[in-house]
Order: sequence, then C-alpha cells, then structure tokens
Amino acid sequence: MKWHTYRYRHVRGFSIALRYSYTGLSSPFIQSDSLASCCIYPTIRLYNPSKSPPISPITHSINPCISSSKISNFLTYHCFLRYLLIAGNMKVTVTTRSGRELINGGLVLDSSATVADLQEAIHQRIKKYYPSRQRLTLPLQPGSKEKAVVLQSKKSLKEYTNGNSDTLTVVFKDLGPQVSYRTLFFFEYLGPLILYPVFYYFPVYQIFGYKGERVIHPVQTYALYYWCFHYFKRIMETFFVHRFSHATSPLSNVFRNCAYYWTFGCYIAYYVNHPHYTPVSDLQMKIGFGFGSVMQVANLYCHIILRNLRNPSGNGGYQIPKGFLFNIVTCANYTTEIYQWLGFNIATQTVAGYIFLVVAASIMTNWALAKHRRLRRLFDGKEGRPKYPRRWVILPPFL
Amino acid sequence: MAAFLSLLRRLYLTTYNWILFAGWFQVLFLTLKTLKEPGHAHVYSNIQKPLLFAQTAALLEILHCIVGLVRSPVSTTVPQISSRLYMVWGILYSFPEVQTHPLISSLVISWCIAEIVRYAFYGTKEAFGSAPYLLLWLSYKCRYSTFFVLYPTGIASEIGMIYIALPFMKESGLYSVRMPNKWNFSFSYFYVAIGVIAVYVPGVPHLYNHMLRQRKKTLSKPKEE
Repeated sequence: MKWHTYRYRHVRGFSIALRYSYTGLSSPFIQSDSLASCCIYPTIRLYNPSKSPPISPITHSINPCISSSKISNFLTYHCFLRYLLIAGNMKVTVTTRSGRELINGGLVLDSSATVADLQEAIHQRIKKYYPSRQRLTLPLQPGSKEKAVVLQSKKSLKEYTNGNSDTLTVVFKDLGPQVSYRTLFFFEYLGPLILYPVFYYFPVYQIFGYKGERVIHPVQTYALYYWCFHYFKRIMETFFVHRFSHATSPLSNVFRNCAYYWTFGCYIAYYVNHPHYTPVSDLQMKIGFGFGSVMQVANLYCHIILRNLRNPSGNGGYQIPKGFLFNIVTCANYTTEIYQWLGFNIATQTVAGYIFLVVAASIMTNWALAKHRRLRRLFDGKEGRPKYPRRWVILPPFL
Repeated sequence: MAAFLSLLRRLYLTTYNWILFAGWFQVLFLTLKTLKEPGHAHVYSNIQKPLLFAQTAALLEILHCIVGLVRSPVSTTVPQISSRLYMVWGILYSFPEVQTHPLISSLVISWCIAEIVRYAFYGTKEAFGSAPYLLLWLSYKCRYSTFFVLYPTGIASEIGMIYIALPFMKESGLYSVRMPNKWNFSFSYFYVAIGVIAVYVPGVPHLYNHMLRQRKKTLSKPKEE
C-alpha cells in the first residue's frame, strides 16, 4: 500500500517541509496530505519569505504568473477544507521503554493504517530500524505483572486504541540486527555438511599425530553419505518446505547456532572417521542406518504436513496438527528427528554421537513442551474452539 | 512456622559461614607458619587436609543456591566452585610432583584472604541481620577492594599451576581414555587443561569487570541494604 510521508527537518529554527510523494493525490491518505499541506504553505511563507513553495502538480497546472503568496493562500484554504471533509487520522506517539520519545512530535497516520504502516513510518524516520527489527507494544502500567501486548503487523492500529480512536501510544524496542530464518538455517546446516567430509577425505589425523595409512571401513563411508544426506535434506527443507511464522531472528543467533552445529559436527566427524575407529557388527550397522533412513523420510513427511497446516497468505493462527504420526504425538517432527539420530548412533556407536543425541533431544523437548502447552491453551474446547486431543508430547511412552 | 524456619535458616547459615571462616583461617595460619620455618616446599603437605575440607565444603553453596537458601544465582556459583575444585582436586591433589612448587603458596594465600573476608562478611550478615551502616560499608569496601589485588595474584597462580602440571598430565595419562575402544571415545585430560587455560584468557577480564560492576553498584547504594 502506498502512502505519503512528511519529514519535518528543523534547520536553525526554520521549518522546511520536505514532501515525499509516492503516489499522486488519489491515495487513500489524502487527509494527512491535506493536513500537512495546510502546514507547509503558510510555514514556508512565514519563515522563508524568500523561498517559494515546492512545485506541486497543483501549482504547476495553475498559471505561473499568479504570485506565490496568492497560491499559498488558496492552497492552504483548499487543503483545510479537504481536511475538514475527510475522516480523521491517527496520531501515534512512539516512546522507548525508558519513557523518552523516540520520534519527536510523534507520527501522523491514516486511521485505517495498519501496524505494518506504522513500522514502515518509523523506519522512514530512523533508517536503522527496519520493520523486522522493531518490537512495538502497548504501554504497561508501571508495576503491572502482565505481559505487554505486542502489536501484530497485519492488524489495524484502530484495534489497539481502546475507544479513544485518534491517538495511540506505542512502546518501541530495538530487537537488534535481524537475519532471516532462511539465512540462519542455511549457515548453521552448511557447516556440518562441509566439515564432516573434510575429516573423511583429507589427512586431518596427521595433524593429531596419527601417521601412516588410514583404513576406511564401509560403515564410515555409509555414515558420510547418511550425514551429508541429512544436512542436505535440511537445507532443501529450509528453502522449499518450511514456512516461517516470524520472518527473522536476531543476528547473535547466527553465531550461537553455528557454534553449536559446527562444533558438534566436527566433534562427531573426528570420532567416526578416526584411524582407530572400531566398527560395530554388520547387522547392527544395517539396523541403525535402515531405521535412521526410514525416520528421515518420515521426518520429511512430517515437515510437509506442517507446511500444509499453514495458510499460504501467512495469517496464521495455529491449527491442530493431524495426520500420520501427529495423531499420536504433538511434535512428531522432533520425534522422527530424534529417532533418526538414534539410528545414526546405533550404526556408528560413538560417545560423541550419543552426547549430541542427548543434547539435541533435550533442546527439542523444551520446544515440544512449549508447543504442546500453547496448543492445549489455545484449543481449550470453549467458545466453539475444538478441544486439543490427548496426545504424547514428543517421545512416547516417556513424555 | 515461617518465622521459625527463617530463624533456622539464619542459624544454619551463620554456623556454616563461621565454620568455613575458621577452616580458611586455619589454612592461612598453617601456610604462613610453614613458609616461615620449613619453607614453601612443605606448604602443601601441611595444609592438604584443611584445604581439601574447606574447599570441598563449598559444594554446599551450590546446594544452598538451588534450594533457595541464599540469593546468589546458580549460574555464577557453579563456575566459581568448579574452578576451585578443579584446582584443588584435579591439579594439586592428583599430581604430587607439583606439590612443592612456590606458586602454591601465593595461590593459597590469595584464596585464603578472599575466603576469610567473604565468610566473615556473610557470617556477620546472617548472624546480625541488618548490621549497623558503618560496619556494612566497611565490610563491603573490604570485600570489593581486596579483589583488586587478589584476583590477579590468584588467577596468575592458578594458570601457573596448571601449566606446571601439564607435562605430568601428559606423561601419566591420568583421567584420560585412549582409542581404540568399543565406544570410540577418547578423553585427554592434558588437552582439556590446555583448553582451561585458553578459557581463562577471555574469562578473567569478564569476571573482573563483573566484580567491578558489582562493586560500583554495592558501594554506591549501601543504605538500601
């Protein structure tokens, strides 16, 4: 949606209105345009008698021989009339959490504006704060124990004013530099995909003091294929399957997540490809990789089911997942992921691999518990909402 | 009932803090006495038992934090206690070859002064509840100023001792597991020790700054206590 913004730049006491027009006057935000226009022309005339008003489409069409002050008078009156005729607008005050006004004088937006428009307006004023970096909440009473209401970008600003519909105060928080989830996932998965083969193909162990030829067992080769397929699959899912509810994640998460994946990747790769690696029995290897592969396919299917749960336009709300393993377990995608790693570990049998399994499972369990609770709270069976069925959280029969 | 429990808590904490105060005081006393007479090489053998007792008893502090008996967060107490226990059991106790080194004396003296001040401070606080303003201010000042000297000396001694013990770790292979084995696992105590030294490097300024900030905060508003 296109709209006007007006930037008022104070230069040594003079008010110079700079008008940025994105569309012609047929935009729905004419009233702010009119109001601002009322201010521009007299302002310029009063404080900058030598400067003529900016050439606008209106003025240009009028006979240029008419004096500029007459034009200003006419336009001011004209715009004032238009302002009176059109419905009201919304004045938004933007403050920081410490109470200071982030944008002096606040912002003026159309009363039908959405939160996304407000975010864009803030971004226009302060270039650094692009919309995904902003967290806007309604002010809380000091000492209130409640959680602040976060403004959602698709909603209209009107929904957040209680009755008194032409002013709104929002509290701004800078979330820090943001990175899209796709970027984040791509880099965190790229590490294991590239680093593991390094331990397999290159004479890395010479650095650790293991001279001489390395005998490669079949299980080590299969482990390489399995591992690389797994992370390749994850990258493909990131770009083609997953639908993300929040578009971005803080930049610091890139370092934290990459450290986790890359370190564990190297740690496991070191042991599986070690010159002194002791393989398990052939049967155990087959069971491990076989089971793991089945689970990987199941995991992919779970992701596809989850994707189809989400509305393509992204208006989200939550839905009760159903179908396949979701009928039994809330977070079947995590279940299959854990079993998939279990398969890998049964086949390769390293303490490093099992440590990773335990850590990953506990992280996923945390997420699963939160999701399960959220779904149970949302689908409580009241007011026509369906009741969330009894299901395992993540790992039947334990949790 | 609540008042009784609160009294019990105060009694227990007072006892705990003063016992440990006495323990560390004894360690300091023995250290200084041994330094004067037989010399630095005999320091460890004379203080081993009280030192092991006093330092291991600090494990109770973690319990106190978990249970909520004290206000300190678990996340800061655990690393502190772990590093001390690592030094005392993992380095000093495990490698007899390093027990005659002079750095032990500087290490132990730094620890003793720090711990004595700390336990006296908490012991007084628990015993008397709200102490007179002057006493509090003095004890805060003492505690938060002594660390200026004790941190560098203590940490330098710790790093030094780990470094001294390194060759003996490698040679003896103590606490280490080698490949090949059925579980494809290895653990090298030697490399972990090098890792610990590597972690000290960024860790120390961070801890130091934390103490500085704590100091500024506590000394600027003593009336609120």
